[in-house]
Amino acid sequence: MSEKTISVLEGNNFVVSDLRGDIDASPTETQGLFKWDTRFLSRWILTIDGLRPNVLSTDDLDYFYVQYFLVPGTGTIYVDADLSIIRKRAVGNGFHEDLTLLNHKDAPVDLKVRMEAGSDFADLFEVKDALKKKGEFYHRIEPDRLILGYCRENFVRETLIAASAKADIDERGLSFAVHIDPHGEWKTCLNVVVASPTIGEYREETTYGHGDQRSRSTVKKNLQKAGEAIPRLSCDWPSLQVTYQRSIVDLASLRFYALTLGGQAVPAAGLPWFMTIFGRDSMITSYQSLPFTSNAAIATLLVLAQRQGIRVDDFRDEEPGKIMHEARFGEMTAFEERPHSPYFGAADTTPLFLILLDEVERWTGNAGLVRQLEFEARAALRWIDEYGDRNGDGYVEYARRNQQTGLENQCWKDSWNSILFADGTNSRLPRATCEIQGYVYDAKVRSARLAREFWSDLALAERLEKEAAELKHRFNQDFWLADRQFFALAIDGDGRKVDSLTSNIGHLLWSGIVDQDKADAIVNHLMGPRLYSGWGVRTMAEGEGGYNPIGYHIGTVWPHDNSFIAMGLRRYGYRKEAARVAMDMLEAATYFKGRLPEAFAGYRRDQTEFPVEYPTACSPQAWASGAPLLLLRAILGLEPVGNHLIVDPAIPSRLGKIELLDIPGRWGHIDASGRGRIDTTAMESRPQPAQEKIVV
Amino acid sequence: MANITSTFFEHLAQRGYEPLLHNVSGTLRFDIAGEGSWYIVVKNGSLAVSRDGAGADCVLVCRRGDFDRMVVGKQNPTTLFLQGNMKITGDLGLALMFERVFPDESLAGSEQGKKEGN
Repeated sequence: MSEKTISVLEGNNFVVSDLRGDIDASPTETQGLFKWDTRFLSRWILTIDGLRPNVLSTDDLDYFYVQYFLVPGTGTIYVDADLSIIRKRAVGNGFHEDLTLLNHKDAPVDLKVRMEAGSDFADLFEVKDALKKKGEFYHRIEPDRLILGYCRENFVRETLIAASAKADIDERGLSFAVHIDPHGEWKTCLNVVVASPTIGEYREETTYGHGDQRSRSTVKKNLQKAGEAIPRLSCDWPSLQVTYQRSIVDLASLRFYALTLGGQAVPAAGLPWFMTIFGRDSMITSYQSLPFTSNAAIATLLVLAQRQGIRVDDFRDEEPGKIMHEARFGEMTAFEERPHSPYFGAADTTPLFLILLDEVERWTGNAGLVRQLEFEARAALRWIDEYGDRNGDGYVEYARRNQQTGLENQCWKDSWNSILFADGTNSRLPRATCEIQGYVYDAKVRSARLAREFWSDLALAERLEKEAAELKHRFNQDFWLADRQFFALAIDGDGRKVDSLTSNIGHLLWSGIVDQDKADAIVNHLMGPRLYSGWGVRTMAEGEGGYNPIGYHIGTVWPHDNSFIAMGLRRYGYRKEAARVAMDMLEAATYFKGRLPEAFAGYRRDQTEFPVEYPTACSPQAWASGAPLLLLRAILGLEPVGNHLIVDPAIPSRLGKIELLDIPGRWGHIDASGRGRIDTTAMESRPQPAQEKIVV
Repeated sequence: MANITSTFFEHLAQRGYEPLLHNVSGTLRFDIAGEGSWYIVVKNGSLAVSRDGAGADCVLVCRRGDFDRMVVGKQNPTTLFLQGNMKITGDLGLALMFERVFPDESLAGSEQGKKEGN
């Protein structure tokens, strides 16, 4: 996101404007009022006597509420203004804007105030790919409002614009002839309602009316409630407090209210492109948040269960039992020009569903949920064996059924060029990436516990345990690159081991699929100079043929990736290394005011001194916001065991003392604390294993 | 096929229990232009179908042609809804779950070859 824009949102309704509050969308500026993946306003421009005001300051007081303080534009450099302009905007089913003009002169003024309005009704996919519309635009001028509309057959989207003050309305906006007495003021409310007559609740009013955004804010109340329920953190290092608060607020704002679940909130993936349900992102964020709140995880599991695949559908990459990738609601989805209704192109979501279900039970003791979702969990297990393993080789591999608009890579590194050989060439489909095998292993181990303890199916439990053990055994042989001492990124369609060194091997530690005698070599790579930038583990190691420090999945550092790697390091007993990953990432967060971006560049830390944000990253991004939470879990060593929470701190010394109070779970509430004893600055980059000396 | 719409509901009534709806309970009414209304009572996956009934938790309104195309697997229920060609009022979650009964495989005919061999 550009530094010069400001975003306010409620659910999947959001506004991206400039610092004046204006919306002036262009192919390069993703501004607009959006809901249901449709842009309802592409122009919303205020002028006073034909000139656009200058900005004094902008306050985003709340993520759904913002104030803009402006002075008239002079066309030249700033001179003392005798007029102030205040815009206050609250987002909800469109937005409500209070526009106030204050006359500071001893004399009356007469002004022409104009609000230019227009909409291209673009689908978010059209915004991204600059595509043309296929339907008809129309407008209606009613006595007290302007209606901008778009229809394609029965697909109708309308923007209803009304003002409380008397306005001259034309098809391109509203004009006001304003007279203000000496030291007087003039006000109008502007209501912009987004109307999707065919989706969900149809309301011809905004969520917030004049002046009531404070009192009626359900979002704010929910946030306050969430704020009360989440554990309190105290820490000697103040930056961690800032990051923690930022994460909690961002995660509260990045929510999608599922219409099909009575409005329960599930984590959306990120602003502005991904304010929707993503199987992977929603589950990863839920997992990261579990020590702090379990509501999002439960809602996520229920929504994904509702949308579990039940049939074979090539267009949507749907298969029975598969957990979806992404749901969209815009025009291109409606007319099947894109497959997101929903789209199932992800091979890791189904095992992640089982992992999350087990993890939720471990934290909350919610046996009812495990029983309620037994049918879906069994269907997910069947998908792994029947559809996930396409060629019967015992590994889950992916290749899209939808050749036109499907995703080529169906793992978290979903850009087309992420699964590369060490010489930089692309691998062939179908691809079995290593981390997915780890997830499958973990999913089977965990599901065996669920089968035994909750589904009374001992035979299933024993079968799953046997399969998991066999998978682990085979994987440690088939994916291991003996000469390089790490696991191949993938096995490709030609049966070749994709031999780039990547962060994916860290996920293998998290899953527990790595044989103990291989862990040292993996950790040496993760913490070695080729993968470790000084801020975190790169997605791909420096020196690989495809490496690019600003390549999306081939060299950048992703906070969520690192949070899982830190958990993996803890799982295998590498306490100091986990502490180092956590400390470096938390230090990186201080350069972003506590809000970690989706990804930052893979430059060496000593080269740039500060982490360089990846240019087109979404911000905030849910699983980046969730990363500090999982890192906190990693350094406090929080593990639910039965009805107890084990606390086993391994805290960087710079953080000093940490206390996390009232951690919710099946135990009620428990406090965890620890003192920083690990000097992560003293840790040298670990040497690469000397390859010729390793005896396999 | 005499009438795809009524055959679909006959099959649904004969099915009696649909495991994909094991977690679903509620009442739906389909208003199909030119064909009239059908009521479906779902109780933890068991199905009862009738031509008349009282209020429904969820009402779905669409054209006969669109409905029949859903039955034979040529129209996806979600996109029919998103296009504005199926109006749904009431419990959307219930409507979403009920989608799972489409298509009717025995009426799908041409759809049988759709599953891709791996």
